[in-house]
Amino acid sequence: MSGAGPKGPRLGLGLSEDVDLLRFEQQAREAEAAPGPAPATPGEWIRQNLFSGPVNALLTLASGTFVLFVAYQILSFVFVSAQWEVVQVGMRGYMIGGFPVDEAWRVWASAYLVIVLAGLSYGVSARRLRPSAGQAAVGAVIVAVAGAIVFFTAQTALVRALTAGVAPAVFAGALVGRLLGRKILKPLVVAWVLVFPAIMIVVRGFDGVPPSEWEGFFFNIIAATVGIVASFPLGLLLALGRRSELPAVRVASVGFIELFRGVPLVAWLIFSKFVVDLVLPPQMVIPDIVKAFVAMTFFSAAYVGEIVRGGLQGVPAGQYEAARALGLSTTRMMALIVLPQALRSTIPAMISHFISLFKDTSLFVAIEVTDLLAAARRSASSLQYFGRDMETLLFAGLIFWAVAFSMSRWSQRLEVRLGVGRR
Amino acid sequence: MSETGPSSAPLTDGELKEAARPSPWRDVRVLRAAGQVLFVVILVVIAREMYLNATFAIGSAGRELSYTYLDSRAGFAIKEHIVGYSSNQPLYKAFLVGATNAMLVGAAGIVMATVLGVLIGVARLSPNWMVRKIALVYVEVFRNTPLLVQVIFWYVAVILAIPRIEDSVSVFGLAFVSNRGAALPAIRSGADFGTWSLFALAALLVAAIVWRWRTRVHERTGGPHYRWLSSLAVMAVLAAAGYVIVGDAFKVEVPELIAHGYSGGLQMSPEFAGILVALVFYTAAFIGEIVRGSILAVSKGQKEAAQALGLSPGQQLRLVVLPQAMRTAIPPINNQYLNLWKNTSLAFAVGFPDLINISTTMVNQAGHALETFSLVVGTYLGTSLLISFGMNIVNRAVALRGGTA
Repeated sequence: MSGAGPKGPRLGLGLSEDVDLLRFEQQAREAEAAPGPAPATPGEWIRQNLFSGPVNALLTLASGTFVLFVAYQILSFVFVSAQWEVVQVGMRGYMIGGFPVDEAWRVWASAYLVIVLAGLSYGVSARRLRPSAGQAAVGAVIVAVAGAIVFFTAQTALVRALTAGVAPAVFAGALVGRLLGRKILKPLVVAWVLVFPAIMIVVRGFDGVPPSEWEGFFFNIIAATVGIVASFPLGLLLALGRRSELPAVRVASVGFIELFRGVPLVAWLIFSKFVVDLVLPPQMVIPDIVKAFVAMTFFSAAYVGEIVRGGLQGVPAGQYEAARALGLSTTRMMALIVLPQALRSTIPAMISHFISLFKDTSLFVAIEVTDLLAAARRSASSLQYFGRDMETLLFAGLIFWAVAFSMSRWSQRLEVRLGVGRR
Repeated sequence: MSETGPSSAPLTDGELKEAARPSPWRDVRVLRAAGQVLFVVILVVIAREMYLNATFAIGSAGRELSYTYLDSRAGFAIKEHIVGYSSNQPLYKAFLVGATNAMLVGAAGIVMATVLGVLIGVARLSPNWMVRKIALVYVEVFRNTPLLVQVIFWYVAVILAIPRIEDSVSVFGLAFVSNRGAALPAIRSGADFGTWSLFALAALLVAAIVWRWRTRVHERTGGPHYRWLSSLAVMAVLAAAGYVIVGDAFKVEVPELIAHGYSGGLQMSPEFAGILVALVFYTAAFIGEIVRGSILAVSKGQKEAAQALGLSPGQQLRLVVLPQAMRTAIPPINNQYLNLWKNTSLAFAVGFPDLINISTTMVNQAGHALETFSLVVGTYLGTSLLISFGMNIVNRAVALRGGTA
């Protein structure tokens, strides 16, 4: 852990230790991966891992009973007592809410854009990292569940075909990415940077759909993307400002970071809706959703700022001195020497922050945005399906979970690949 | 200027400095100072503009920017409160109810999430394959699902689904559980509680003396110290003796089921239970991962040395590994406590009267959005700073002496 610890007195709360945490989480994974004596037979394995002593045997029996009980409860609910019709009927609402049906092609087009890019990126990165049997099994289960949901819920042949096309699209993308390999790494990065403006054009351009009609899971995705794309540069500036030699800049950055981190996002969202109009000039009218996006961006930027600061602290002083000795200006020193090293070490923490930002998009319900969760709740309060909360909540939770879980797995792979904390 | 003069005499120190100093608009120090002044001026101008806009907007609505409205009558009821409240009391009292309610959830949540989190963290490293995998699934499920989904799930799908109050589940007639919440027996102080507390204080003192005595014996002879056992036993005996002598020190209040509600005892509303359970399960998943990470970060040699000394696996964990793991775990756990505290704001989703919920009601009833929500921001900020400050003290107490490694 050399060089990872905080240096010198810190201003403010000193809340963020995420980078350190991730560093030893990674050490933990390495320690676990260390080869031990392999058991010879399945019987031997069971004895070693489940019945190595009386206490252990008791634990196995107790936890085994618990697992059986929970599994029975879940399976009997899912396959016997649940009535999934509510999900089937509400599916469009969950995905796009009140987005005009005639314009739904815009969502599909954006989704396919992202899906193909994701497939390509997976293909490029998978050249180095083959999934283990366990990962492959988890992936297969997720694909199977998703397939079953599509089969049971799609209402029209077109939607069924489009949804079914997702898997081939990812697969084709992955294959092409694998064939082309790192040659397309740069265009791919550029494409990811451009994907958000592209989606905005697809959705809003050509007599498109205004933000007030973005609902359902589509809203969650858009909100998370806005938050990530906008808060990263702002957070970077805040981190640099916090380490600036100019006291005024430093104090302002610390104040901004601590203010936005010390208060929950829900409070900022409500603040943006009810208070911000008061302090803006009267002739300036900004839609509620845009103000809320700005609030979320500020909130997220404060976190990003702290994560980047952690990364900056990990860059040895010698790197700064060497850059100075080469006669680089401050800007070039930061851009060419310091930030590339600092940002590389912050990738895991950054991704885990973006995962929680994605999960936090469900909080927009506080300012009456109908996102996936709100749509799910609404469908369970309709007259026909009253009380079907368990089904709708499980479904909404599953969707959120699948995205967050795959992002966290991807982050772990990336971490191994980049060798974070080992150089 | 000295450099333009024809003098051939050697320059004095002052003159040398004068010559080395560039013109002010090229002097880095001057530019920096000027830049900062400009920066501050811009910030002040923006802040002033915002203030003027706010006073103008509020003024044109026929009101003024002030906090005196907090003294006016609230006029709305709040279902649960721990500080005493009725709708006739002023608004600031309502705000206080919201803050204390949120703090109650936060404090209970922090304690329970820590206990569960440590259990999960240790279970993640259990030699038992089954236990390990259960803990892994727990962590992956709870930490990758939005907290709001979990809050609503616990409240709507679990707590409201337990039997109605008419069919309350009774636990030996002492506690009741239904979809109207839970009622537990409460221990209330009796008339002579003051006298008894003197006994209790004496018992504590004697226990401390016994503790020291047992420690000394242990240090001198190397024999077992039994200091926990002996001091706790002495304390329990003395406190019980005090209870017998004094008489009316405590009453146990058992809740009763009357018509469509509970009376007496310690009552927990379904809203409180929903937000609390969700916060505990969610945060415990994160704390579990932190605990696991920091246990694994303790160098292997420490555990081997403890083994070599002949400590039992339990002792190895308790005496050698966990105390060292705590050092790495405290800063990130501090983050989780702060997150938990801020996440109490999700209580709005189940209608628990927390800060957000009450302040929204206040704004709906009495207006003054700017003042009310700035109070909310200030309260969260202040409490977050307090938690951080407290944890920094703990951190300093357990940190290695002589700087970090």
